[in-house]
Amino acid sequence: MSDVQDIRSIIEEQIETLRRRNKEPEWVTKMRYRGLKAFLTAPHNDPVLSNPLEFVVGHKEKFPEVKTLEDLPPEMRALLDRLGIAEVEKKYVAGLAVQSDTNIVLNEFLKSWGARGLEVLSMEDAVKKYPALKDKFMSLFSPEESKLAAYHTAIWNGGVFLRVKKGLKIPMPLHLFFLIQNSAMAQAPHIMILAEEGSEIHLIEGCTSPILVRHSLHLDMSEIFVGDGAKVKLSVIQNWPEYVHTRPMTRAKIGKNAEFINTTVGLGTGKSNIASPKYWVDEGGYVELNGIILGQKNYHVDLGGEMLLRGRGSRGLNATKSVIMDRATVITRGLIRAQAPSTRGHISCDALLMGPDARMETYPGLISEVDDAELSHEAAIGKIREEELFYLMSRGLREEEATQLIVKGFLDPMLKDIPMEFVVEIKKIIEMAVGGGM
Amino acid sequence: MNELLTIENLHVAVNGNKEIISGLNLRIGESEFHVVMGPNGSGKSTLALTLMGHPRYRITHGRILFMGEEIASLTPNERGRRGIFMAFQQPKVVDGVRIKDYLTLLLTKVKGMDPLKTGKIIRKTLREVWFSEDILGRYINEGFSGGEKKRFEILQALLLKPKLLILDEPDSGVDIDSLSLISSKLRKMHGEGIAVLLITHYGRILQHVDPRILHVHILREGRIVMSGQEELVERIEQEGFRKIFEECGCNE
Repeated sequence: MSDVQDIRSIIEEQIETLRRRNKEPEWVTKMRYRGLKAFLTAPHNDPVLSNPLEFVVGHKEKFPEVKTLEDLPPEMRALLDRLGIAEVEKKYVAGLAVQSDTNIVLNEFLKSWGARGLEVLSMEDAVKKYPALKDKFMSLFSPEESKLAAYHTAIWNGGVFLRVKKGLKIPMPLHLFFLIQNSAMAQAPHIMILAEEGSEIHLIEGCTSPILVRHSLHLDMSEIFVGDGAKVKLSVIQNWPEYVHTRPMTRAKIGKNAEFINTTVGLGTGKSNIASPKYWVDEGGYVELNGIILGQKNYHVDLGGEMLLRGRGSRGLNATKSVIMDRATVITRGLIRAQAPSTRGHISCDALLMGPDARMETYPGLISEVDDAELSHEAAIGKIREEELFYLMSRGLREEEATQLIVKGFLDPMLKDIPMEFVVEIKKIIEMAVGGGM
Repeated sequence: MNELLTIENLHVAVNGNKEIISGLNLRIGESEFHVVMGPNGSGKSTLALTLMGHPRYRITHGRILFMGEEIASLTPNERGRRGIFMAFQQPKVVDGVRIKDYLTLLLTKVKGMDPLKTGKIIRKTLREVWFSEDILGRYINEGFSGGEKKRFEILQALLLKPKLLILDEPDSGVDIDSLSLISSKLRKMHGEGIAVLLITHYGRILQHVDPRILHVHILREGRIVMSGQEELVERIEQEGFRKIFEECGCNE
């Protein structure tokens, strides 16, 4: 496997398979080959995956094609039921799109919003429909920056293109679930959100489908363009099985007076989860990265987050709350760069250590390139306070019940942007995790 | 009168070996009303916390019986479920835990109540102690005034209906109106057959309680040095502990 020629021909074959399957424009295939070239030379500095080559080979299993929600495999349906999505769906409270390979299954709700200017396409269809995407696609990343970015560029498959027309405000969250079955490569969906001037949208991504996916590496990439005055919320709920390594790559450009709230809830973070999202914020813009991390077993979670406050008066907030159990390690490294006058940034990191072997590291970074920026950070790492536990237990609650209450309470302020049906499910998962560990 | 709580020759140490309670004896019968008074540092709060099972207070000698059962090895929640309730002197803030979720959990888990029936009872009881329903969305004790904290303790006691209600200085840091309310709630709960062990510095908290029923004890250096009835409360208020201790020869 270590032979460069072998790697080159394996990736090349994967690219050709995708080219034929997708009948994609030439610029897309060219971009893939640029990714292949970069893969061979780009640096690789992942602390967990020492050899990226071992993930290049995929599997050959075939699953039946999914065209409607009815065709979903039972595991996926059960999961949607568990998350209360089936109920929500029935009530038409929110939109649900399920991504299955190159098909997007839309419900009636989404179709009705489609007429008013909400466009949801599979990424494969989007690059065919809009030649102009050539200038946007991979514009926030460079394949040369790392082997994983290069590999994503070469073999990206699946993903969603979402465009919200100027001024369109969508009042309820849109749910998106990934179901990628038949691709012979690593799971590498590419997501692009174009929120035009003054528009508003909240997208909830459920990253799961553990049983279907045999891959051990998940390499998704998201490029988000928040137009002037637009408001975008992106909530990602990760519930990965323990054999998966995930490397979500997220970057966003936030326009003048625009707002981007990026919440990531790592319930099942997988064997290792390393992310370093990056945000560019223009004049008067605001970005928020909220991380909720449940570290279990021997998982390794590393959440960065770089904010470039490059417009006057722009603001950034990076807040994480971690609950760490067993032998898990959680690292946070927020970085805020104040590059323009009157900018403000704050990093906060709170962690509850649930056992003697749980480990937390935090490296806040504040860089001011101007003289009137306000930058601050705070961190609080500790275990559950004995006095709080005693107070609750004295009222008759068992240690486990009191602990669950305290842990849920610790995370509660971070769940403000997550719809109730997810909060209920998230709290159930936390209860199970905490209940077993104490 | 059946005995509810029996404390025999109790010795309690904290932080290693520092002894705070030294040979304390106390018997509380069902539905009795006991008041424990004493200067600062005499071991009043230690007594309350030891009865509730705080892990930092270690019983080195003696025993505590509740309804005939030795409770020293029981966890705080096991004591709570047997009917002991302690209203804290300084109730703890539990961040992020909404009062509605908390009280509902108490009623369902501890009292075994049907979750569908809890809402009505909670809403009714919170009005009794002057809270509006807005409190349900707030976090436990967060941003509460002194009076609110103490009234929230009483609210929980009203919901849980213990057999023995221990109050550790329910009158400290409380406004006059809350104090009067807490006093009348004490009378009400006692009237319903709940035994009370009230720890206080002042007699004012007893304003609504029938003075004839009181059993008053004075604690000094971890021991009860004097017991009596309501007149003892008045004497302490007028003369102070120092004089009483001199007269009784308790200063040895």
